[in-house]
Amino acid sequence: MVNQKSRWKTTLVIVGMLAPALIVALGIVIYPIINTVIKSFQDEATGAFTLANYTYLFTNKLSRAHIWYTIWVTFLTMILAIVISYLLALYLRFSESKAAKVISSLYLLPRFIPVLVAVYALKMIIGDSGLINRLSLLLPEGSPLYDFKPGLLYNAKGIIIANLWFNIPFATMIISAALSGISSSIVESARDVGAGKLRIFFKMILPLSISDVMIAATFVFMSNVSSFTTPYLIGANHPMMLGVYLRKQFSSRNYELAAAVSVLIFLFSSISAIVYIYTNLKEKEWEKD
Amino acid sequence: MANAKLEIIDMTKLYNNGDGVKNINITVEKGELLTLLGPSGCGKTTILRAIGGFNDIQGGDIRIDGNSIIALPPEKRPTAMVFQSYNLWPHMTVYDNMEFGLKLRKVPKAERKARISEMLEMVKMPGVEKKYPGQMSGGQQQRIAIARSLLLRPEVLLLDEPFSALDAKIRQQMREELRKIQTDLNITVVFVTHDQEEAMALSDRVIVMNKGSIEQCGSPAEIYDRPVSRYVADFIGEMNFLQIKGKTLAVRPEYVKVAPGKGGDLDGYVRTVMMLGHYVEMTMDTDYGIVKTFISEDESRAYHKGDPVAMTFSKQFEY
Repeated sequence: MVNQKSRWKTTLVIVGMLAPALIVALGIVIYPIINTVIKSFQDEATGAFTLANYTYLFTNKLSRAHIWYTIWVTFLTMILAIVISYLLALYLRFSESKAAKVISSLYLLPRFIPVLVAVYALKMIIGDSGLINRLSLLLPEGSPLYDFKPGLLYNAKGIIIANLWFNIPFATMIISAALSGISSSIVESARDVGAGKLRIFFKMILPLSISDVMIAATFVFMSNVSSFTTPYLIGANHPMMLGVYLRKQFSSRNYELAAAVSVLIFLFSSISAIVYIYTNLKEKEWEKD
Repeated sequence: MANAKLEIIDMTKLYNNGDGVKNINITVEKGELLTLLGPSGCGKTTILRAIGGFNDIQGGDIRIDGNSIIALPPEKRPTAMVFQSYNLWPHMTVYDNMEFGLKLRKVPKAERKARISEMLEMVKMPGVEKKYPGQMSGGQQQRIAIARSLLLRPEVLLLDEPFSALDAKIRQQMREELRKIQTDLNITVVFVTHDQEEAMALSDRVIVMNKGSIEQCGSPAEIYDRPVSRYVADFIGEMNFLQIKGKTLAVRPEYVKVAPGKGGDLDGYVRTVMMLGHYVEMTMDTDYGIVKTFISEDESRAYHKGDPVAMTFSKQFEY
C-alpha cells in the first residue's frame, strides 16, 4: 500500500516536471498546426467551412505544376544525395589513402557555410556570367567553348546542385557512422570464404547499413521538400517549389490558400517522418533476443 | 620436406612505421597444429594475415603443397581464417552464415544442407540453424565460426586468437574440442595466441616470437625443458632468474628443492608462504634475488617467515 502511494507521488512529480515543456509544445507547435489546418478549410471571405482551397490546389494547372515540380526535385535531390554520399562514405571507410583522410576531415565543411552565402557563391561560379563563363572567355574566339554559358541557374538544375551541396555532407556523415560500425573482420571473413567486392557490398555492407541509409534519405527529403532559400534565390518563376509558392500566396494575402499549401508540405514531411519512425522502431530480426 | 603442407620462405612484411616481421621461415606439416606464440606486437598476427592473404608481403614466398599463393587474393586462397571476434555475419542466421561460402562454391543445395548439419553435429551444436549470432554466447559463436571455416575444407586453417575473448572455463573446453576436431579431421592448423598455457596445451609445435623474429621453434616439451634464450625461458612457464657472478642462472620453481636449515646450493630465508589450492607457493629471499618454489601443504607447515632455507637445484639453465 505504502509502495503504491509513493508510486503515485512519483508519477505526479514526473507529470509536474514535464508540464512546462508540454504546455510550451502545445502553445507553439500544436496550436499553430491546428490553427493552420482549420484555416485551410475556411472560406476567404466568410470563414465558412469549404474545400475550395484544396480543390484549387489540386485542380489549378499552375499549382499542380508546382506540386509535381516540388516532388520530383526533392526526390531527385534525395536519390542523388544518397547515392553520392553512400559512394563517398564507402570510399572513406575502406580506402587507406591519404586523399581519403583529407576528405574525411573536410567533407563536413560545406555544412558550416550559411545557406545564403553558399547560394550566392554558387551563383558567382555557375551563373551565366560567372566564373565558368569568364574562364571560357579566355579561350580564343570562335572555339566551341568560347563564351560558354552553363545555364544552370533559374531552373531545377541549379536548385538540385545547391541542394546537393548542403545534403551530401550531412548524409555522408550519417552513412559513415553506420559503415564504421561494420567491423573489418566481417568484411575480411566474407573475402576469406570467397566473396568478391560486389557480393560483399550487396550481401554484407548494404543489409548492415540500409536502415541508416533510409534515415539519411528521410532527413534529406524532409529538409528539401519545404526548402525556401535556395529555390527562392536561384529557382525559376515557374514552376516553383512549394516553399516559394507558399510565400507568394502569403504575401498576396491569400492566407487560406497559404494554409492549405502548408498543410500539404506538412503531409509530405509526415510521410517521411513515418518512414523514419518505422525504420527506427522496426526491430531487426537479428537483433531480437 | 616431403610432408610440408605450408611453407613460409624468407618472408618479410614491414609496415610503414617500421614494425613487422623479417626473414621468417616456417614449415608446417600436414595435419600439424602449429602455434605462433608471443606478446602483442611480436608479429604473430602479421604472419597469419600474410598466409590468409590480408597482408601483402615485401619479400619471400608462401607455398601450400608446393605452390606459391602470394599472388592470390584472400578469396582465392585455400585457407580459412577465424578472427578474434565478430566473425559471424550478424544479419544472417547460423545456417545462412554457413551456407554462404558453399553457395559461392556452387555446392548443390541438398549437399549443402547435409554438410552443414554434419558440421553442426561435429561442433556439438545441432539445431541452431535458425538462430542469429546475436542470440548465442561468445563461445557458441566462435564454435560456429570454426565450423563455418571447416565446412569449406581448407588446406590450412588459420586461427587468430579465437578464444581470447572467452572466459577461462569455456576457453579450456574449446581448446580440447578444437584439438579433437583437428586430429579427427587431420587438418593443418596455424594458431596464434599470446597465452602460453593455451599454446602448450594445444600444439604439436610452438614458435615463440619476439619483436618480429622467431626466438625458438619446437614441441611444447622442448620449449619448456630447453628454452634457448632468457626471453623464451621468461615467457614460457615460471622461472627464477638469479644474477650470479655476471651470469644469469634460471631455475624453474619445480626444480627448486627445499629443506629447513642451511648448506644447500643456495641459502635463503622464507619470505612468503601462500596457499594456492592444491599446492603452496613459497618465496625465499637470497643474496641474488627472490626464489620461488612449489611445495605441498604438508611440507609447508615446516616453514615460517624468516626461517632459514637450504635450496638445491635439480635442473638449471644459464644465459
